[in-house]
Amino acid sequence: MNILKQILNFLLSLRTTIWLLGISLVLLFAGAFIMPASEEFQLLHSTPLFEWIQNQPLQLTWWLWSLIGILAVLAVNTLFCSIESIISKRKVTHWLLLISPQIIHVGFLFILLAHLLSGIGASQGMTGAVEGSVIMLSGDDTELRVKEINMNYDSYGYLTDWDVSVEYLSAGDVLYRDMIKPNQPSTRMGFNINVKDLRPFPVEAVLLQINREPGALWALIGGILFTVGIVTLILLKIRMER
Amino acid sequence: MTILALSFASYLFALWKRPLLYLGLVLQVVYIFSRGAELGRLPLVGPHDTLIFLAASMAAFAAAFGFALKDRSRFLNAVTIVVAVFTAFAMTAKQHNSPLPPVLKTFWFELHVVLAFMSYALFGIAAVFGGVYLKDRQNSSEGLGYRAVLIGYCLFTLSMIFGGIWAYLAWGTYWIWTPKELWTSILWAYYSLYLHARLRPWWMGRPMAVLGIAGFAITMFTYLGVSLLMKSSHSF
Repeated sequence: MNILKQILNFLLSLRTTIWLLGISLVLLFAGAFIMPASEEFQLLHSTPLFEWIQNQPLQLTWWLWSLIGILAVLAVNTLFCSIESIISKRKVTHWLLLISPQIIHVGFLFILLAHLLSGIGASQGMTGAVEGSVIMLSGDDTELRVKEINMNYDSYGYLTDWDVSVEYLSAGDVLYRDMIKPNQPSTRMGFNINVKDLRPFPVEAVLLQINREPGALWALIGGILFTVGIVTLILLKIRMER
Repeated sequence: MTILALSFASYLFALWKRPLLYLGLVLQVVYIFSRGAELGRLPLVGPHDTLIFLAASMAAFAAAFGFALKDRSRFLNAVTIVVAVFTAFAMTAKQHNSPLPPVLKTFWFELHVVLAFMSYALFGIAAVFGGVYLKDRQNSSEGLGYRAVLIGYCLFTLSMIFGGIWAYLAWGTYWIWTPKELWTSILWAYYSLYLHARLRPWWMGRPMAVLGIAGFAITMFTYLGVSLLMKSSHSF
């Protein structure tokens, strides 16, 4: 019973939060020096984090393993502190002032969840394509056909704009037609297809990047909640000081 | 470039005649707008333009925060020196005059960069307040430093969120494992620590002032050090 109480006190403590953030910083600092010195981290761009980390030596990944552990404890600490804060201060008059830090915390937890989901299930593939190329998208018979590539250059030879029209095919039939433009990927059937690079000669060609990012929606929700919480908190603080 | 040289001179002489700080700021704003009109885009690519924007943002925030101080001369002098140094470095840095690649022509990119540099400027203001507090021990300096960090943290978080949205639209992922992203996380975690630490009385005063100063050192490394020294998605 005593141990349970000690664990609860540990998870409800602001001091714990500060220590966990401090340890996370030390680990991130270590990673910031290990990462640029190791070619192995290049593979992380195309492999989900949890798949990559299991296949790498511990001397490269110890800081990431430790960071994942610390972030897990920090997530529990955040959740416990938020619940405790709402219960203990529920009768305060400025309930918005009470709730806005908790919205920030929920936003943070969603962002952690997003990274967890992406770390498990994200994928990235790249392939070169010219007009008429057909690319197999998934295990079923869905394919992507590059229909047309357009590139516009200014008089100095700088690329000013481009677009690539694509078709999603199933058993030879066109399911959807879409257009990929700068900052406008084709997002169908759980894929995010964008153009990584373009080449005008000898024939117009593109390097397509085909991503699956299962955490993206959660990251967006987390980002919105975090923004709402922090902007509300600052506005309230400014209003209270006046 | 003449306007920029005049703005630099104004900052230097502002150490003796305070209103010249505001003249320097106005000249820098004029320079930023003229660069924008000349290039037909937001002039915020490369160290030349970003250093000028950072200097102008710091001067503007210093003018606003300065009104809250009774004795503002030490604070404004320190900001003036920092701003003059940034302007001097900007004048030696190469201008990026070529058109932007299509992927950078989006308001997500513009918001991402503008908010990032405004937050860096506020972290700089907090560091100056930290320095002033260590000198004269006025609680108002420490309190204003905290406010600068709180607003800066909000803008920095927004910048990261907008950067994530833009990266998802441009490259299909909201997170890339490069040194810049890692250092950005370090900076964000650092100021998260700062804001949580301030809720505990032990950290009030000198520790907060020291954290504020150290935070700006990390900010500058995240901005210039990583971009110049390491291979990343944000290299200059």
